[in-house]
Amino acid sequence: MAVIETFGLSRNFGKTIAVEDVTLAVEAGEVLGFLGPNGAGKTTTIRMLAGMIAPTEGYAIVAGHRTDRDMEQLHEMVGMLTQTPGLYDRLSARRNLQYFASFYPSVESQSQVEKYLKLMGLWERRDSKAGTFSKGMKQRLALARALVHEPKVLFLDEPTAGLDPEAAGEVRQLIRTLREEGRTVFLSTHNLNEAEMLCSRIAVIHTRLLALDTPEQLRRRFFRRQIIVQLEASDAKVMEVVKSLPFVQEARGEGSQLILELTDLERNRPELVKAIVEAGGRVIGVSEKQYPLEDVYLKLIREESGNES
Amino acid sequence: MSRRRIRTILLKEWVLLFTDLNSALVVTLLPFLVVGQGILYIWLAFRFAGESMLAASVFQTALQKLVEAMPGVIQLPGQEQLLVLLLSQFNFFLLLIPTMIAISVATFSIVDEKLSGSLEALLATPVKTWELLLGKALAGAIPALLMTWLSGGVFLLVALALGWGHLIGYVVTARWFLTLFLLTPAVAILSFMLGVAGSARAKDPRGAQNTALLIILPVFALIGIQITGVVWFTPLLILLLALAIGIADFVTLRAAVRLFRRESIVVQWR
Repeated sequence: MAVIETFGLSRNFGKTIAVEDVTLAVEAGEVLGFLGPNGAGKTTTIRMLAGMIAPTEGYAIVAGHRTDRDMEQLHEMVGMLTQTPGLYDRLSARRNLQYFASFYPSVESQSQVEKYLKLMGLWERRDSKAGTFSKGMKQRLALARALVHEPKVLFLDEPTAGLDPEAAGEVRQLIRTLREEGRTVFLSTHNLNEAEMLCSRIAVIHTRLLALDTPEQLRRRFFRRQIIVQLEASDAKVMEVVKSLPFVQEARGEGSQLILELTDLERNRPELVKAIVEAGGRVIGVSEKQYPLEDVYLKLIREESGNES
Repeated sequence: MSRRRIRTILLKEWVLLFTDLNSALVVTLLPFLVVGQGILYIWLAFRFAGESMLAASVFQTALQKLVEAMPGVIQLPGQEQLLVLLLSQFNFFLLLIPTMIAISVATFSIVDEKLSGSLEALLATPVKTWELLLGKALAGAIPALLMTWLSGGVFLLVALALGWGHLIGYVVTARWFLTLFLLTPAVAILSFMLGVAGSARAKDPRGAQNTALLIILPVFALIGIQITGVVWFTPLLILLLALAIGIADFVTLRAAVRLFRRESIVVQWR
């Protein structure tokens, strides 16, 4: 069941089109990565979905509520981690959370605050002022704030931006925990590895939605599947035999590697290995060629930029 | 729920107010500076400029209005009549305290949150705009009001200490109590409402403070027209004025809510 649905969602700021005709659906329990370059409309989309700004065209339904109409009910259902932690530096971690928790009618703030301070590893520092925290701790506290009312949907706007690798790793681990708990997370990020590690599907936006699929399907959309056969040494005879096989569509050699495109990658693989071995080739390993998500992303963005120009 | 939210905002604002040295000093010391300055002016006027002030036509008009309101004053020597006139203005002078605190504290209440990014997180909660604005206005208005009342008490004690005790009966009248306990709360809430509304609309902290400076002008006007005798505020007039400002408080809250543009705050502030 979709908990986030958008229908032709668009937003202009004066003459500038920030988001144009975005239609997508996010299933319950899914972690969706929302990728795009700076100024692509990621934050604007998140703000529209969280009911903070209204679309100029189209609409969105999040957790059963129209984001431009039922704002109060919507805000009880969603949690948002903004780009800046936006904490009260002179308040303790506990008071920061208690303050925000008290705005939700159904939240028993004491126990929720304790639960999330512990989950975020901040319980020992609960009475320290937020201003004394490191960037990573502040981000964890802000994440606790977004979760304290047990939202159905969580919007995370670049949660690891500006964090050092260790702090970013801590935040990613927390997002993994949320994924394991079955929460729906809408994760805006610049970090492609992060998106691939954490997200079941990835949406690429550049004002318009350019793609929405699993990382694997996105790769297949832009790159044909290839198999790499690692031989002990390059062998012209083996290459000749391989090229003559009816299911080999394309073959090339790179050092001691054979890079091949097959009619059916899974079914043809045993026959291929058998033919190579019979031709005297010594096979060290067989694997599918992996294209980094970055290649897919750059291809999408470049194509879109090309279309624009 | 609204009461709980307003109380939460109130308590948070108080913690922030009194953990910031500058704000805490403004709230706790400024009232005494205002009282001290007021008493000093009265003492200097009484001591050194009494005769010449009495000769001025504006004061003669005001004295005439004073005598009409309190016929017993006519039995006092001329200089003491002037002293009663000046002392009986002090309840209006005290109105400066909540307005000055509002300029200093309320004008930053929204701007600071915009700049730190906490306002965006706050606007993502179910808090209603009126709850937020009222909570912030009351958080400043309540301590400002308490300090104004305390300052009124201090003023009376200093007047006694200066040997003006026999004139206190002309000062602490129905006008005094109505001003302090009806007009001052209404003015305090109005000042803070305007300060918070200005803060919500301002494009930067300086703009917020410049807008808020306008709050103080009507209070100066009130003191001016009273001391020059243009209008003599009788208890009934003070009651009506407090009522009018009370209505203005409500109208200002409604207007502030309408003018509070969540979208532009979220989009334009980082």
